[in-house]
Amino acid sequence: MRTSLGALLVIGLAGLQFIAVLAVVFSSYVTSERALLDHARELLSDVGTNTIAHSRGFVAPAQSAAELSARLARDRVIASDVPELMEQLFFQQLQLAPQFAGVYYGSEEGDFVYVMRSKGSGPFRTKIIRHQGGVRTTELIWRDDKFNVIARWMDPDDVYEPRQRPWYIRAKDQMTTIWTDPYIFFSSQQPGITLASPVIDRQETGLEGVRGIVGVDIEISDISDFLANLRIGSTGRALIIHANGDVIAHPDKSLLKEQTADGTLHFVDIAHIDDPIARAAFAQLEADGQVPVEQETLSQFNYNGETYVSVVMPPMSDKLPWTIAAYAPESDFTAAIKQNRLTNIWIAGAVAVLTAIAGLALANYIHKPVRAFAVRSALVAQGELDPSDPLPATYEELEKANETLMQQIAARRETEMEYGSTFALSSRGMAQIDAQTGRFLRVNEKFSEITGYSATELSQMPFTLLGHPKDPPVLLFDNDQRGTPREVNHEMRCLRRDGEAFWALVNAILIFNQEGKPLHIVLTMDDITSAKQTEEQLAELSKDLSNLARDNTMGQVAAGLAHELNQPLTAIAQNADSALFAAQQMGGAGHGLHETLDEIAEQALRAGEIIRALRAFIRRDEGCRSDFDLSELVSQTQRLLSAESRAAGVSVIADLGALPAVHANRLQIAQVLVNLMRNAIEAVAEGDDLDRRVIVEAKVDGNEVHVCVSDTGPGVAEGITLFAEFETTKAAGMGLGLSICRSICLANGGRLWHQPREPHGAMFCFTLQVGGMEATQAA
Amino acid sequence: MTDGTPAVFIVDDDQDIRTSLTRALGQRGFEVSAYASAQAFLDAYDGETAACLVLDYGMPGMNGLELQARLNANGSPLAVIFITGHGGVPESVQAMRAGAVDFLEKPFRQSTLVERIKAAQQIAADKQAALVRRRDLATRFGRLTAREEEIVERMVANPAEVSSKEIGNALGISPRTVDHHRARILEKLEIRSLVELVDLVSKLKAPAG
Repeated sequence: MRTSLGALLVIGLAGLQFIAVLAVVFSSYVTSERALLDHARELLSDVGTNTIAHSRGFVAPAQSAAELSARLARDRVIASDVPELMEQLFFQQLQLAPQFAGVYYGSEEGDFVYVMRSKGSGPFRTKIIRHQGGVRTTELIWRDDKFNVIARWMDPDDVYEPRQRPWYIRAKDQMTTIWTDPYIFFSSQQPGITLASPVIDRQETGLEGVRGIVGVDIEISDISDFLANLRIGSTGRALIIHANGDVIAHPDKSLLKEQTADGTLHFVDIAHIDDPIARAAFAQLEADGQVPVEQETLSQFNYNGETYVSVVMPPMSDKLPWTIAAYAPESDFTAAIKQNRLTNIWIAGAVAVLTAIAGLALANYIHKPVRAFAVRSALVAQGELDPSDPLPATYEELEKANETLMQQIAARRETEMEYGSTFALSSRGMAQIDAQTGRFLRVNEKFSEITGYSATELSQMPFTLLGHPKDPPVLLFDNDQRGTPREVNHEMRCLRRDGEAFWALVNAILIFNQEGKPLHIVLTMDDITSAKQTEEQLAELSKDLSNLARDNTMGQVAAGLAHELNQPLTAIAQNADSALFAAQQMGGAGHGLHETLDEIAEQALRAGEIIRALRAFIRRDEGCRSDFDLSELVSQTQRLLSAESRAAGVSVIADLGALPAVHANRLQIAQVLVNLMRNAIEAVAEGDDLDRRVIVEAKVDGNEVHVCVSDTGPGVAEGITLFAEFETTKAAGMGLGLSICRSICLANGGRLWHQPREPHGAMFCFTLQVGGMEATQAA
Repeated sequence: MTDGTPAVFIVDDDQDIRTSLTRALGQRGFEVSAYASAQAFLDAYDGETAACLVLDYGMPGMNGLELQARLNANGSPLAVIFITGHGGVPESVQAMRAGAVDFLEKPFRQSTLVERIKAAQQIAADKQAALVRRRDLATRFGRLTAREEEIVERMVANPAEVSSKEIGNALGISPRTVDHHRARILEKLEIRSLVELVDLVSKLKAPAG
């Protein structure tokens, strides 16, 4: 397929640019999406890691504090019987770790020291339960930050029994530091966890006993505060879920607690938390029993038509089976980028449009000279523009192409002109015919002249219409072109426009185009009517001659016989008369003799009469003499004998010059010519001379025309009597030829004679009367 | 040639014809000479003998017509009778046109031939007489001088202006001289008047035969 340069330029300069811009935008779109997701994941992962670190940092001091206290108690550095010391230790620990809600010690004896943060009379409150002398006392002491006592009184209504508390029982059972599940602290009603560490008493028996349990309460609402302060995107949230599904930390602390029917508080399950997004994100974790998950898991989900990303972290530690879950709407991370991306697309689109326009303009600018060149070439090809006109400003390459093209056009025009003038000026009729329709495409003047139709009339008609209606139609080429010859020659009878028939020799050549399809027919036509007529005349002459020859031969036989017989008859008659005369002179002879001799003479005469009658019968229409052109007759005879002369290798030369019309029986003279020329040809053919010619000459001599037929043969041999009847040198012949010729010449008022030719050969001459004489005489 | 014996010449290429005719005519008192060809006759004939020529029309070589033409040209005192085996109207017409006295087709009766020969011999005799006369006239005219011939021509050409004065004026000589010449002319031509002169000249110029 041919592509337009203009289209190529448009595609190349505008289209490709557009595609390039689109490709860049698309790829950046896709890659930025990926980058965004990665970014979100990393961000959430960071949140998780931070939260874990924070949480660990939050609870780790509690363990060391509790274990420190437990070691001190074990080593009896502090003892429950000196609660003041213990209270001081616990106070310091509270001051050091703000996340501690309270630190306490319960002994096997039921003594209990408990320092806790307070919202009452002072920031710290101490509760001491003592047993002295079977009497249990509970003392409450409020202190400021400097450990100064603000208030102190006894609480007789206190029934608290540390040894019944779960933390005490579990630590004592397991003989190691234990962490309780998060729960809502009874006193502060804040979520927290308790760490309990047993104080081991190694007795001398080797048995280990528990002297008491040190416990630390850690309020974990601070973790929720921490979570609330964390910035995850703009609206993202992180929460901590316990292995049992409780949500133990949430930016909104109020959502954590839930009051049961008996009035106690406990944590809200993740499946029921009043945070629908969190529910949607993480509820299935509990349902799948996958809380906590084994590894960091990033996922995506839709809520209310918005896309969120979420991450679930693996549990912090065995003792703290907590998992950090965070979610954030994707838009928090991607909105700006998406906005940016949209802007980019707009910019890219604008750039693409601008570059496309610029590309189109550039393509137009580049293509313009080419287009102008193409238009110009088309105009030149149609002849509406002269090739020598200056070329508009264009490219160097095109200028060269133009030069070549113009040369080609000039050469082609010249060829066309030559062909055209050859066509137009040809002395033969020429025509170009459509191979499909058979109609004339183009004809020359000669063709119109031959057919009588004008070029315009011919252009409306097919070739077959030219043929004579009485003849079968002439098909130049079969409709099925395969295998047909590409050139044909026809001799056909045609009808002129005026209805006159003429004979034409038609030569047609079928021209094919490069694909092998028939293009048109080039036809050459010659009017051969006159040649045809000449041929017919010749044939007629030949026919007449053979008839005449037969008649003449018979006539000549009769004449010859007459002559031959007349001689003896004459002699008989004379002798009979002589005898009669002699008898009369002698006298007296019997009468019978006279009569008999007279009878003999009479019968001889009668025989002569019979012969004369016979001759007169055969010799008819001899008087048909007229004026005719001898040159034409000689030339026809020459042609009549051309086959014989060619076969004998003899050239017949007619040298006749200008002659007046002669008056004779044309057909008889034709026979004389045929006889003499045939004799001459045969004579030359017999000889072996290199000079093999028969010459026919004629000249005017007064009222006669002398015609001589000479040859370069061996000539007439000595002892031959020419013109004698029934005498011949030929193997097949009656010996009447020359005799007949002489008779004919005599009958036409002429003579025929022979004379030898130098250096050898024979020459036969005869005379004819010049025509027009009778007319002159009549006047 | 014997005086009073009528001479007959026969030209025919056929031996039998020659023999029979020679015999027949010889019987009847003709002096007959036969020749086989035209050329043989021409070679033998003296050109002056008045005779009848019995001539075959169609012969090889020079034919009868050609021989007749040749003889006519010489002014021979011969009367030609053609005999032919090829007889035909065209041939006979041509022969008669050329001056033949008769045309006989072979075969023919002797009586016919003899009859024709006698008639022809009369013609031949007349021809010879005319020839002799003309010769005599020619001899007489031959005596005239150039000037005299000139004057004769003038007189014959313009019979209305024959006075010596007129002739003298025309020729640039004196009438007296003309008179002298005229006398000499009449004397030389053996005549006595102008009328005789005109007659003589016309005879001389007339074609032979």
